[in-house]
Amino acid sequence: MVNEFIDGIIEAFVLLFSFDLEVWGIILLSLRVSGTAIFVATLVSLPIGSFIALREFRGKKALTNLINTFMGFPPVVAGLLIFLLLSKSGPLGSLGLLYSPTAMIVAQLFLAIPIIIGTSKAAIESINPDLKETILNLGANERQLWWELIKESKKSIIAGILVAFGQAISEVGAVMIVGGNIRWNTRTFTTSIVLQTRMGEFGMAMALGLILIIISFSLNYILTHLQMRDI
Amino acid sequence: MNLLEVRNISKDFVKNDDSVQNVLSDISFTVKRGKCFSIIGPNGSGKTTLLRILGLVENPTDGKILYLGKEMTNLSRKEKTKFRRRISFVRQKPVVMNSSVEKNIAYGLKVRGVEEREIQQKIEEIIEVVGLKGLEKKNARSLSGGEMQRVAIAMNFILNPEIYLLDEIFQNLDSMNVKLLDDFIMKIKQDKEKTIIMSTHDPFEAIKYADKIAVLNNGQIAQIGTPNEIFTAPKDEFTAQFVGYENILYGIAELDKGTGLSQIKVSDLIITASSQQEGEVKVCIRPESISLGKNPPSSTSLRNTFRGYIEKIRDLGNICQLIVNCNSEKFLTTITTLSLRNLELEIGSEVFISFKATDVKCV
Repeated sequence: MVNEFIDGIIEAFVLLFSFDLEVWGIILLSLRVSGTAIFVATLVSLPIGSFIALREFRGKKALTNLINTFMGFPPVVAGLLIFLLLSKSGPLGSLGLLYSPTAMIVAQLFLAIPIIIGTSKAAIESINPDLKETILNLGANERQLWWELIKESKKSIIAGILVAFGQAISEVGAVMIVGGNIRWNTRTFTTSIVLQTRMGEFGMAMALGLILIIISFSLNYILTHLQMRDI
Repeated sequence: MNLLEVRNISKDFVKNDDSVQNVLSDISFTVKRGKCFSIIGPNGSGKTTLLRILGLVENPTDGKILYLGKEMTNLSRKEKTKFRRRISFVRQKPVVMNSSVEKNIAYGLKVRGVEEREIQQKIEEIIEVVGLKGLEKKNARSLSGGEMQRVAIAMNFILNPEIYLLDEIFQNLDSMNVKLLDDFIMKIKQDKEKTIIMSTHDPFEAIKYADKIAVLNNGQIAQIGTPNEIFTAPKDEFTAQFVGYENILYGIAELDKGTGLSQIKVSDLIITASSQQEGEVKVCIRPESISLGKNPPSSTSLRNTFRGYIEKIRDLGNICQLIVNCNSEKFLTTITTLSLRNLELEIGSEVFISFKATDVKCV
């Protein structure tokens, strides 16, 4: 067992630094899928999150509860729902997206959007109400107020986005279901690790695991750094 | 036409446990252009909420605000922004944005779309006035409390608005900032186009600046009137106790360099005050500081003695309030009912009133 572990680490480095095409393909695909998903999710979620935070409307409490529920939505179930949506007989089956990187992006979007909405809403709501009123009294219109509050809470918002990215890239159930783990096409870190481990190819699994850990470590590092520094 | 008219405003806050707290009820008053309107009341009487409603950052539960006859309270968001740009709201506790001093001060002009060059010029001017030179690039949140207050003052006064809402701004100010604000307010008061609505719990502040005063108690207006009406004829016990009785006279002071005392000309009377004053002043004398006699007092330290006649007697049980008319200036004073009887005083009696120079407070 110990031997396999050490062998695995050695093979991991060999694979990484020999620029194994398949390993690097998997890395780039994972980053592309999760990166795109988080980028789109941020564009969608920031306005929604701040809208909910700033406006009073009927059903706000219910909507907040719904978002909180979706923040912890089981990824496998999300994968199942997207699968049903995109499968041949599903409502969006005609798009032919199932088992494509796009399908994985959609699944991760579904998981990331509630997280970013929830964290940005909480961030903006936690701003001192006197500051909000001061900005309004200085003559800001709604758009200017919105922008100022985003700037004010950028730390927490960036933290939320990074958390969502970390979740997306390390998630396995949903991408497995909608991506299908197809070699050279929809195979990501996590699906690949599952597969390689099952096949006893520990070197490959370790190599990918190592990179995944490095990525989440870097994210955490940036997070702590952000929280300590005044940006 | 009134610049602002507040009509039957009331405000209820729904607390977390769904209970309702009534903060303001049935508030009505009018404010004329170019005047200073002061809302005076103890802490928790609803002053800040009232100003926030006037600043359109809080909706009243009931009632409306009219600006030049047009209702403001039901405007669209866009129109509310437009109205807010006519107002400056200086808060009791200053709040600044997480950016440099310069950017904070520029913010109001920037959102109004003022040209960059003009903004820069105005900032330089005001930074000089408020004494923040050298701190322009510093983050406003990193400043001391007093400096932050100066940023807040600059942020609002740079906008040169039509209406100033000032919420207990002299609270917790250091003496340098008191002087700074006093200069700003006096300058604004001279401009007949500018209107001030200020809240305070300090009666002397209200006397000094206000043309009209509303006394707020527990979310209701106890009395509205000129400083003279409020301080010499409070309508109810609360007002009498909270603001206290005060004779307020308007005069012009001249400093006597030899004695170090001020001679204040109030119509035909010359009042001596121990504080050093020059120019237009408001003179405050507590009724209980004024003593009364049938003859002028001889060889005492009382520097002020005037002859007059009793115009009015108000019996308050064991004490009486008298209005004494001296050369048509009216003085409110109190004496015990016993003294009133012993001195055989009645309406029309000739009397001498006197008070010490040190009992004359000038604002």
